[in-house]
Amino acid sequence: MSRSKLMPVFLVLAVAASAIVASTGYGGSAGQQARVGSAQDPITFLTLWGGSEKQAFEKVLRAFEAKTGLKVQNESGVRDFLPVIRTRIAAGNPPMLTIIPRPGILADLAREGALKELEPMGVSKSYLARNYSKAWIDLGTVDGKIYGFAAKANSKSVFWYSPADFKQRGFAVPTTWAQLVAVTKKYKAAGETPWALGAKDSWTLTDWFENVYVRTAGPDRYARLFGGTLPFDHPSVAAALRQMTSVLNDQYVAGGISGALGTAFVDGIGRVFGANPSAHLYMEGGFVGGIALGDVNPKLKPGRTIAEAPFPVINPRFGSPLVGGGDLTAVFVDNPEVRKLLLYLSSPEAGRIWVSTGAIVSPNKRVPQSAYPNLLVRAEAKQVAGAKVFRFDGSDLLPGALGEDWGSTLQKVIQKPSDIPKLLSAFQKKAAREFKR
Amino acid sequence: MTQGPVPISVAEAPTRLGRLSAVAPREAAQGVVFILPAIVILATFLVYPVIWTTRLSFYRGRGLGFEGYLGFDNYKELFTEDPSFLDYHRFPPQGAVINNLKWMILYTGLCLVFGLALAVLAGRVRYERLVKAVVFVPMAISATAVGVIWLFVYSPDPKIGILNAVGEGVAGVEPISWVGREDTVNYAIIVAYVWFSAGFAMVVLSAALKGIPAEIVEAARVDGAGEWKIFRRILVPMISLPVAVVTVWLVINVIKVFDIVYIMTRGGPGASSRVIGYSMVFETFTNGRGGYGAAIAVVMLLLIVPIMLLNIRRFRSERVSG
Repeated sequence: MSRSKLMPVFLVLAVAASAIVASTGYGGSAGQQARVGSAQDPITFLTLWGGSEKQAFEKVLRAFEAKTGLKVQNESGVRDFLPVIRTRIAAGNPPMLTIIPRPGILADLAREGALKELEPMGVSKSYLARNYSKAWIDLGTVDGKIYGFAAKANSKSVFWYSPADFKQRGFAVPTTWAQLVAVTKKYKAAGETPWALGAKDSWTLTDWFENVYVRTAGPDRYARLFGGTLPFDHPSVAAALRQMTSVLNDQYVAGGISGALGTAFVDGIGRVFGANPSAHLYMEGGFVGGIALGDVNPKLKPGRTIAEAPFPVINPRFGSPLVGGGDLTAVFVDNPEVRKLLLYLSSPEAGRIWVSTGAIVSPNKRVPQSAYPNLLVRAEAKQVAGAKVFRFDGSDLLPGALGEDWGSTLQKVIQKPSDIPKLLSAFQKKAAREFKR
Repeated sequence: MTQGPVPISVAEAPTRLGRLSAVAPREAAQGVVFILPAIVILATFLVYPVIWTTRLSFYRGRGLGFEGYLGFDNYKELFTEDPSFLDYHRFPPQGAVINNLKWMILYTGLCLVFGLALAVLAGRVRYERLVKAVVFVPMAISATAVGVIWLFVYSPDPKIGILNAVGEGVAGVEPISWVGREDTVNYAIIVAYVWFSAGFAMVVLSAALKGIPAEIVEAARVDGAGEWKIFRRILVPMISLPVAVVTVWLVINVIKVFDIVYIMTRGGPGASSRVIGYSMVFETFTNGRGGYGAAIAVVMLLLIVPIMLLNIRRFRSERVSG
């Protein structure tokens, strides 16, 4: 074969290589050929929701499609949300809309310039104020501009128990910390394991801490701590952690602390509400109900074998503030179709459909109580709506790396409470640096 | 018929650049054309990313862009202020680097020992193929599934975890939370990964053993050598090259290990089971610190380079002796 015959082959290779380089360099933005919202070029949505939360959301999307004729493609169940979304942004290929589980991340992405501001897209402050309370609007506001609004809300200030078991043993539902400790001790004295804990997922520990802290140090200090103006080595933090470890220790937790650290969140639910329970109490958000009924044990009877109660009061001065979580809707690509979907998702109409599934609680204040299908979610919705003091999940407010780091710090705390001062000062060093960025 | 180029015989092949001038310019140009596609592909997918990553490691790198120049700060933080990466203020030292070291010794060692033992022993039984198939099957499972399977095995709840069920039922010991304890978690993951890859070592070494001429072993037997002596003095030396190849493969596996740690523990509890690869992904994507993650990637690359060099040198010496 002569050289001249090789040249075309080589040229093809070179063109192919340069095409690959070019396509990775520029990435595909929203396609301009097909109309957005058509079957070929649907509105793209990326969410971390799976299971019942996914089904509920897709029910809302189908209603939107039926109403507008626009198609929405929901890429769902992305559990490890952060790596996926950051990769997609860096590749220039973000979804049009997404659900961001942490306001801290929303703020990071907004400041990096990745998110679109919502006000110019028709989602104004006054419009949102009709549907959401100020606390929720603030969560989606970064440096005075709106970048997101709440899609769903959770109460995280609840613990779960079996009313039948309580009745049989003659326990009253504890409303104060002292009563909670008393119930814990009674279970222990009866030769039972009081608590289950899914500490392999470290956010279960940050939720424990937040509930104890907001009740011992007060909502103001809570806001300052997670806002970066109160150091983590403040004595109030160590005190709250010691209070927390007076219940979360080898004595009272199923499998001991090491067992808890090897147990994931859902497996922890299984230890209390599974077919062969080995513990009696579980502290985690309102979403436990849906998972327990849907995934862990369908035989549970709400109100009889599973029920929730508000996290007890510790210091009467601070009462029972609500620690809540929530996911925010945010936008990467602005177009008229996306605007329509935004307005729909924030409407009470969508909220009604959403909550009718029993999977979530809506932060939309115009969604009525009667729209909730069962006892467990109605109780949660009531708690969220009726909270006098509301504080957002603090670890989700922390910027960048800190939320994850705080979780692993708490994993170390429960293993060795005597290390608390050392661990807190190390964490504070990191926090100071991170808040400065 | 067109006149094709005269093929260059192997003996004449230029081994040093100096000799290139001796080759006719036309032939040299042809040589360049032949290797150009490979060069283009390597440059695009290997050289360019390496340079890009190295450059990124000197920046803060939000959104994986060259943003916020930091100089060597990322490296300084990595080696002096990040206890989850390297903590030499405690004894014994801890952190992802130390965990990788544990992996290097235990994983590589166990895979080789099991692989070799199984290769030798399986060769002596009638159901050899069955044994080999059983040991090799985990290789066909994705590492993700391996992680999930072993999470069930290790579950601290004896109603789920077979290991604790056996421990409690047979020996009457309290359930041990294998992946929930800082002192056991690394070994637990390593064992799972050995289960995953010992089969590969076994297959390669078994093939190598089969390649040893039977006469040599017979001659040794005639000379009165025992089985152990044959194994140590004849079999092992004769398969030293395949052993080296497998070792290199295992060591590279260790340096880049990520998947099974991610599935089984996410580097926890605390940060006690992080490895370098996990730290890189965690810092880059979960924490959004592109520059810091790139610095970890560069460290990883530097760790792999000497092993690659060793391997290349070995191949060269093989060619000379062969």
